[in-house]
Amino acid sequence: MPTSQNPPRRLQQVDVFAGVAYRGNPLAVVLDGDGLSQAQMQRFANWTHLSETTFLLPPTEAGRQAGADYRVRIFDPLSELRFAGHPTLGSCHAWLRAGGQPQMPGIVVQECEVGLVKIRQADTLLLFAAPPLQRSTPDAAVLAQVAEALQLEAGHVVAAQTLDNGLPWLGLLLDSAETVLRIEPDHATLKHIGLAVGVAGPHRASEAPDAPQLEVRAFAAVVDVPEDPVTGSLNASLAQWLIADGHMPTRYIAAQGTRMERAGRVSVERDATGQVWVGGASLTCIDGTVLL
Amino acid sequence: MDANPTPRQRPFKQVDVFSGQAYFGNPLAVVLDGAGLSEAQMLRFAHWTNLSETTFLLPPTPEGRAGGADYRVRIFTPGGEMRFAGHPTLGSCHAWLEAGGQPKATQRVVQECGVGLVAIQRNGTKLSFAAPPLKRTAPGAMQLAQVAAALGLKSQQIISAQMLDNGTAWLGLLLDDPHTVLQLKPNQLELKNLGFKVGVAAFYPPADEPPALIGRSNREARAFGTGSTAVAAFEPSPNLEVRAFAVPIGIIEDPVTGSLNASLAQWLIADGHAPDAYLAAQGTCLERAGRVFITTDAQGQVWTGGESVTCIDGSVLL
Repeated sequence: MPTSQNPPRRLQQVDVFAGVAYRGNPLAVVLDGDGLSQAQMQRFANWTHLSETTFLLPPTEAGRQAGADYRVRIFDPLSELRFAGHPTLGSCHAWLRAGGQPQMPGIVVQECEVGLVKIRQADTLLLFAAPPLQRSTPDAAVLAQVAEALQLEAGHVVAAQTLDNGLPWLGLLLDSAETVLRIEPDHATLKHIGLAVGVAGPHRASEAPDAPQLEVRAFAAVVDVPEDPVTGSLNASLAQWLIADGHMPTRYIAAQGTRMERAGRVSVERDATGQVWVGGASLTCIDGTVLL
Repeated sequence: MDANPTPRQRPFKQVDVFSGQAYFGNPLAVVLDGAGLSEAQMLRFAHWTNLSETTFLLPPTPEGRAGGADYRVRIFTPGGEMRFAGHPTLGSCHAWLEAGGQPKATQRVVQECGVGLVAIQRNGTKLSFAAPPLKRTAPGAMQLAQVAAALGLKSQQIISAQMLDNGTAWLGLLLDDPHTVLQLKPNQLELKNLGFKVGVAAFYPPADEPPALIGRSNREARAFGTGSTAVAAFEPSPNLEVRAFAVPIGIIEDPVTGSLNASLAQWLIADGHAPDAYLAAQGTCLERAGRVFITTDAQGQVWTGGESVTCIDGSVLL
């Protein structure tokens, strides 16, 4: 598979949504993905053993005409994804660090399988515009199965929605952050049910300016990731749902990965037009070349 | 744990071990200069890489140097430090040599780690480690019946079974046929409840075909599409097919496992099931093509070895 006559491809491994270095969600980014087959990309994404690996490419002709700065293909260990949040922020961070210049100052336009996604630079944060959300009421029988796999009692579940902004999640709003942190999921049963499940619960009010208001966990045994440390797409769809239905304010900070000894921090805000933006800090930890 | 007050760029490599073909083995992250990092920092980084192991190279301790050590290594899984492990030993030695490490002896590198000094032989591009001494016992009849049930095996498919421990413990099963090994669909929950790691192996008849197209029924295999053609191209054909199920430590199936292959070899050679030298394949059902070379020297020491390929080369901010 390696083609040694070509110049080595550049690679960065980025910590995304990190409240503290090495406590966010890692992402491997191959900066020159041109010429790699889908099978090569998939094999490398399986080998990195990270929740996601991305490959940057020049935009397609249609993408370039619509204003795209770069194109990205996103893989988990088993398959290609049409969109995902932490790979979007980490890829954008790596592209900027490698010298990428957006056509529009302060806004980077990423082309991926769901189309164009805007990323806003705000101080040290990058925030992506959450793609449009489709949501519906989940089937009661499925909901009961999931609640049992999470060992939740009836009073714990405040609301539930099937969420899809390119990556489908069953979202559960629970009564408190404590309930979220107590869950000991039965991953084998969740895998059998065949759904990725995101749970969230509110923290008690705090005086600290950067204290998280929502605690989030993501269970994705269905794609062989029993628990994901910090999940952009899930936080985006949770925000779209919870702000719209009045469960959360228009601007908040979510914590994720706490039970995995991570310190993921996700900044969420809804702008005056109703667009939800989801972001966080990124840090390039590994910088070098990759044999591909 | 506090953040490192003065992080700096340290040389870093991510190496594919037990395969001559990049991305068909077992990956290892190697920080080539681990000086000054605390144990907590090492563990946090090993947790973050999410690989089965991450290592940190250091100068030998004074005692290690007096004993002939060329370098010292600390080995971490995402959950803690290990005293010894096979694939991290070969991958660390490969990275150390590639970065310009000069061993005191030409054909042999001496690694200092938690169990003491480990000798590594250089054989062309292959590296082999001297397997630590093995303790083994017969498993209980009840244990064996539970494992057979979890793996869906009939008793006549199990030729022999041993509890194996050369620093890390495995229940080893020698099965009747490599196709049996490749077609196993273990019950994860039952294996987890058993609480120990299980390694299974079976010998190919001398003229059998390579195993490339077998065992592709799992989901992971289907996701790869064309991957197996490269597997089929790998020569020579293996003698033994191995799979490692480490469900109790959260690894459903390990791609290529040095310690298991070492203890299987010590057992199978001693009991006359295997010749003094053979080639084992592992990771076939995961679409990997791990190749483990077993040899026995004149003193009866078993050596476990393979090729390594550096896939990522750069620096890490730690």
